[in-house]
Amino acid sequence: MDMKTLLLLIPLLPLAGSIIAGLLRNQIGRAGAHWVTILGVAASCGLSFYVFKLIALDGMAAINTSIYTWALTDGIRFEIGFLIDSLTVVMMTVVTFVSLMVHIYTIGYMRDDPGYQRFFSYIALFTFSMLMLVMSNNFLQLFFGWEAVGLVSYLLIGFWFKKESAIFANLKAFLVNRVGDFGFLLGIAAIVASFGTLDYAETFARAPEAVGQTISIFGGAEWSLLTVICICLFIGAMGKSAQAPLHVWLPDSMEGPTPISALIHAATMVTAGIFMVARMSPLFELSEVALSFVLVIGAITALFMGLIGLVQNDIKRVVAYSTLSQLGYMTVALGASAYSAAIFHLMTHAFFKALLFLGAGSVIIAMHHRQDMREMGGLRKYMPITFITAWLGSLALMGVPLFSGFYSKDLIIEAVHLAERPGADFAYWCVLLGVVVTALYSLRLLFLTFHGKERMEESVRSHLHETPLVVTIPLILLAIPSVLIGYFTVEPMLFGGFFQDAIYVAPGNDVIGEIGHHFHGPLAMALHAVVTPVFWLVVLGSAAAVMIWFWKPQLATWFAQTLSPLQRMLDKKYWFDEVYQFLFARGSLKLGNGLWRYGDAGLIDGALVNGSAGIVGRLAVLFRHLQSGYLFHYAFAMIVGLILIIAAFVILDKGMLEGIF
Amino acid sequence: MTASDLFIALPELFILVMACLIMLIDLYLPENRRGMVSFISVLTLLFAGIMVMRWQAVDSSTAQYAFNGTFVRDRMADVLKVFCFIVLGAVFVYAKHYLRVFKLMCGEYYVLSLFLLLGAMVLISAASLLTVYLGLELISLSSYALVALNRDDRRGAEAAMKYFILGSLASGLLLYGMSMLYGVTGSLSLSDIAASVAIAGDNVMLVFALVFVVVGIAFKLGAVPFHMWVPDVYHGAPAAVTMLIGSVPKLAAFAMAIRLLDNGLVPMQGDWMAMLTVLAALSIIVGNLVAIAQTNLKRMLAYSTISHMGFLLLGVLAGTAQGYSAAMFYAITYAIMSTGAFAVLIMLSKSGIEAENLDDYKGLNQRNPLLAALMLMLMFSMAGIPVFVGFFAKWLVIQAILDVGLLWLAVVAVVFSVIGSFYYLRVVKLMYFDEPETTDKVTAPADFRFVLTVNGVAQLLMGIFANALIALCVASF
Amino acid sequence: MSIQVLVFYLFGTILTLSALSVITVRNPVYAALFLVLAFFSSAAIWMLLEVEFLAITLVLVYVGAVMVLFLFVVMMLDVNLSRLREGFARYLPVGILVALVMAGELLLVIWTKGAEKLPLPPGNPEGFSNTTYLGERLYTEYLFPFEIAAVILLVAIVAAITLTHRGRSEGGRYQDPARQVQVTRDERVRIVSMPAVKDKENGA
Repeated sequence: MDMKTLLLLIPLLPLAGSIIAGLLRNQIGRAGAHWVTILGVAASCGLSFYVFKLIALDGMAAINTSIYTWALTDGIRFEIGFLIDSLTVVMMTVVTFVSLMVHIYTIGYMRDDPGYQRFFSYIALFTFSMLMLVMSNNFLQLFFGWEAVGLVSYLLIGFWFKKESAIFANLKAFLVNRVGDFGFLLGIAAIVASFGTLDYAETFARAPEAVGQTISIFGGAEWSLLTVICICLFIGAMGKSAQAPLHVWLPDSMEGPTPISALIHAATMVTAGIFMVARMSPLFELSEVALSFVLVIGAITALFMGLIGLVQNDIKRVVAYSTLSQLGYMTVALGASAYSAAIFHLMTHAFFKALLFLGAGSVIIAMHHRQDMREMGGLRKYMPITFITAWLGSLALMGVPLFSGFYSKDLIIEAVHLAERPGADFAYWCVLLGVVVTALYSLRLLFLTFHGKERMEESVRSHLHETPLVVTIPLILLAIPSVLIGYFTVEPMLFGGFFQDAIYVAPGNDVIGEIGHHFHGPLAMALHAVVTPVFWLVVLGSAAAVMIWFWKPQLATWFAQTLSPLQRMLDKKYWFDEVYQFLFARGSLKLGNGLWRYGDAGLIDGALVNGSAGIVGRLAVLFRHLQSGYLFHYAFAMIVGLILIIAAFVILDKGMLEGIF
Repeated sequence: MTASDLFIALPELFILVMACLIMLIDLYLPENRRGMVSFISVLTLLFAGIMVMRWQAVDSSTAQYAFNGTFVRDRMADVLKVFCFIVLGAVFVYAKHYLRVFKLMCGEYYVLSLFLLLGAMVLISAASLLTVYLGLELISLSSYALVALNRDDRRGAEAAMKYFILGSLASGLLLYGMSMLYGVTGSLSLSDIAASVAIAGDNVMLVFALVFVVVGIAFKLGAVPFHMWVPDVYHGAPAAVTMLIGSVPKLAAFAMAIRLLDNGLVPMQGDWMAMLTVLAALSIIVGNLVAIAQTNLKRMLAYSTISHMGFLLLGVLAGTAQGYSAAMFYAITYAIMSTGAFAVLIMLSKSGIEAENLDDYKGLNQRNPLLAALMLMLMFSMAGIPVFVGFFAKWLVIQAILDVGLLWLAVVAVVFSVIGSFYYLRVVKLMYFDEPETTDKVTAPADFRFVLTVNGVAQLLMGIFANALIALCVASF
Repeated sequence: MSIQVLVFYLFGTILTLSALSVITVRNPVYAALFLVLAFFSSAAIWMLLEVEFLAITLVLVYVGAVMVLFLFVVMMLDVNLSRLREGFARYLPVGILVALVMAGELLLVIWTKGAEKLPLPPGNPEGFSNTTYLGERLYTEYLFPFEIAAVILLVAIVAAITLTHRGRSEGGRYQDPARQVQVTRDERVRIVSMPAVKDKENGA
């Protein structure tokens, strides 16, 4: 099998599974649906690991190949193609592995759901779309994947389409993402307009020539072309990766089934923005302003979204805000030119956050779909596997030394510390404080759920037991990389020149390289942590958490009362939803109503549409009357037509009358 | 005549022999075994297709002449013939069901259709005025008889009569033009005519002859003002025949335009371009406008055909290789689309009553979601909505006329295709947003459903993978 | 002006006038007879062009066969002429106008520009046989069109039978000689055995 076929199979196998499960859902039944999709994704996962081995371990050169040219117009090729390099293979393995785990887990989680086959079809379709996105070698396919994952996300958030809140949430996700996509599309359009190509490699080759070029957008103000392109692209990333202020959809997306939250809204789709910026590093590196923008947005998201996590009571929402905060960390890393650190954190985060979500899902199954942590407590003795894996995931998230999250997060903080662009100081303080907040909400979740008094109703308690194997096995399989992967991969991935061919860092910006000078192996790094502020901040946060939620739960109420304005602000999530609701939702409703009444109904419908429809209608009736059904009318029309053509093109056109008159 | 002559025309000979054989076989088949005829006919098409594709005498990129230069086989001929076979094969599968339901099952349908196909093939491969005319007559005569196939239907008989008389008139005009061409150039061979015309220069007699030739082509395509037969014939003929008339003869008419105007009269390009511009613009305008006022699906599709033929003419009148290939793409995709649309109509028809009123499509989605989805794809494709193949067809012809600087014509085409999308979308609206009037089950045999599904989904797939077919069309010129 | 040109114009005039009469005379039999006259005149013009075979065929086939058949039909069917002529007068002015415009255009083209550019065909050598020539051409150079023309005739036969012949199932009465011959006695004669009864019992 040649390489092209192999690469094509990777996305197409899940697609085939999706189509079979979707279209033949009644024929193949429930078991058939999960078998066909799991086999497709498993095969795709195996192939991804094989390609990973070829590229990452055997040192094969990056593959940039075109599969099919869809159209060609004005010298711009619209094609399907693959760019397989170190960055892509990391994403491919993460996506397919997490997806496989989620597929298996879903068997248990969705067991009694009537939409079982539909669900499998959707998640396999998602895997296909995500693979197309990360494997792309051009902006067209990137955009296709981008929209396709958005679509599947929309479908899955509203999977329980009879639930009012789910419908609201998926509409919200869709609309907010449209804002981001608009920016993204503008960015792509700017690239096509200025570089005349959709191909990554060609764009990157031509980009350096564009340094110093400016375009004027509003009035006479001149903007650097590359800054505009990068910021537009990043706005797309903000929508997809839920960066403030476009983050509002992600917490609400928890209305969807939990496997989806793990797969799409924690591990894979939301990281598409991070991946995209890393992929576009040759562009971003050329615009200092855009990188500063990225840095500041990421920092705000990292700290302030984490804070909201402190006051949430819904177990999934806590994890959701934690995801937002971690995505902020990744964005900060991008802004600090530490792309490899961002991807590294993306990878570790994918594992431990998927683990946490699936763990939360496991709790939710046991609690008969109750999600409020105030009604939990003391679950550790009922579900030991979930308990242990959740702890492991949380420790990784908090960044306890030796756990995977430690390496990735510590490196990001270090990189920001070294970065020298405007906003870096602000970002540094944000990510440092974020460490405390992470420890606080992570431990709060564990204590409220697994420790302390059993606060659930008797009817629930009597049925509590560990979840079935299809649920716990993915938990265990995900726990392993959550703990270990950082230790083993930090050195080769970050300091071994792994991303050399995929990520470009301008010579003056290479913060990771600088960190590399002081790096003496993962163990040394863990030991060294004891003398860094980060470690002590984790300790501080943990101590506070233990104090508040473990030893003296009354402290929590006391805090809530004394700091009630703050509590209220966090509770209301900084009033983002209210402002959006008022400004955009209601404002645009009013605007829309106004436009509809005067513009649409009055001008367009009344004058243009109905007016022209009236003319069209009358003309249509006129011509219909000419079609009288009488043969001699028809023949007559033909002869008259003939005579007119002769008159116009022979007699007049050739000037035959001139000689006579 | 030599053996190689026969070899070049082998597919034609094969179709002729099989048509005669099927006529004989039909006589000896009992009433309940008539389905055999359909099966043999489809097999015939399959083998003919293989013959065209596999047995290229020398090299299909260069034209090969046979029978003293009256017959030519080139890339365009091969491609068009293969698509004739494909479309006719689908038509045969659909027609079998229709003829059964309407109790018209007879071998004559298949025999006459195959003769019609033979005429189309002769026309497609014509290299002389004589073969153009004879091919055209063979098509016409077969279609007159087919339109009147249901003898108990007054509407069909009336339509056939109109078609016959108007067709004879058009044939007469065409023949008059051809005789003048022969008079001026002294030759029947199209390539000789092209050479003589190039020497003769600006000759008024030639332009005069050209008018009649253009009228003949316009009648066959159904371009305004020579379109009057189209609605009545589409409406009056049995749906299985309408489907046939809307497919293979359109491909042949396109070939006729190319053979006569490009192969024969290319030195007069300026003249026929101007004439076709008027015909194309009128067809697009009138076709789309009148289709809106129709409540009968067959008539609506008839007017939509008129506008589609206008679009096809856009490609021809551009007079460039790009334009010709765009028009060829248009003709092929149109034949496939229109066949599918009539198949949906047939599937909805009940014994004795064709589902030709738009109201019959109300709430189709609730009665048969798959059928509604297929019709949706066909309608979207006809309306030229992106991703579907119809969009590319329109886009290519419009691009072709833009490249020769006819901006105003492109604007007319775009504006009226937007207006035209109204009536296609109305069908979609009826299917999806209205309540059904009956709850009868819609069924058809498995082969019918299979071919129809392929036909509908092809609209989407051919749009996504449009490049392959475009490349095939481009390579033909 | 040579004698040929004179003859041409003579027959040309007769042809045109008789063609006009075909569509203007009231009696269909007259119309058919005028058509015969038109055929004769065109045959004469073809003679002028030295295409004897076609001239003779025209007279033999059209006049001898087709028109005779046509006359039969016209005489056997009682065609209601007054209904056919409805609207004739109403559309006559428009018709005449269109015809005049058409004729004007034709004249303009042919007289002003066209005529001088039409090349004359080369004359035929002594002893040239049009019939032989035609036969040779038809079966060599024009074999393919000739065959296609044959197919067209075949299609015409098929079409005519399809449209007029009512199939066996549609109530026509047909003889099947094979069945007639194979008939056995039992099918035709039924022997009924009846008990002999007496009048008395019957009448009681």
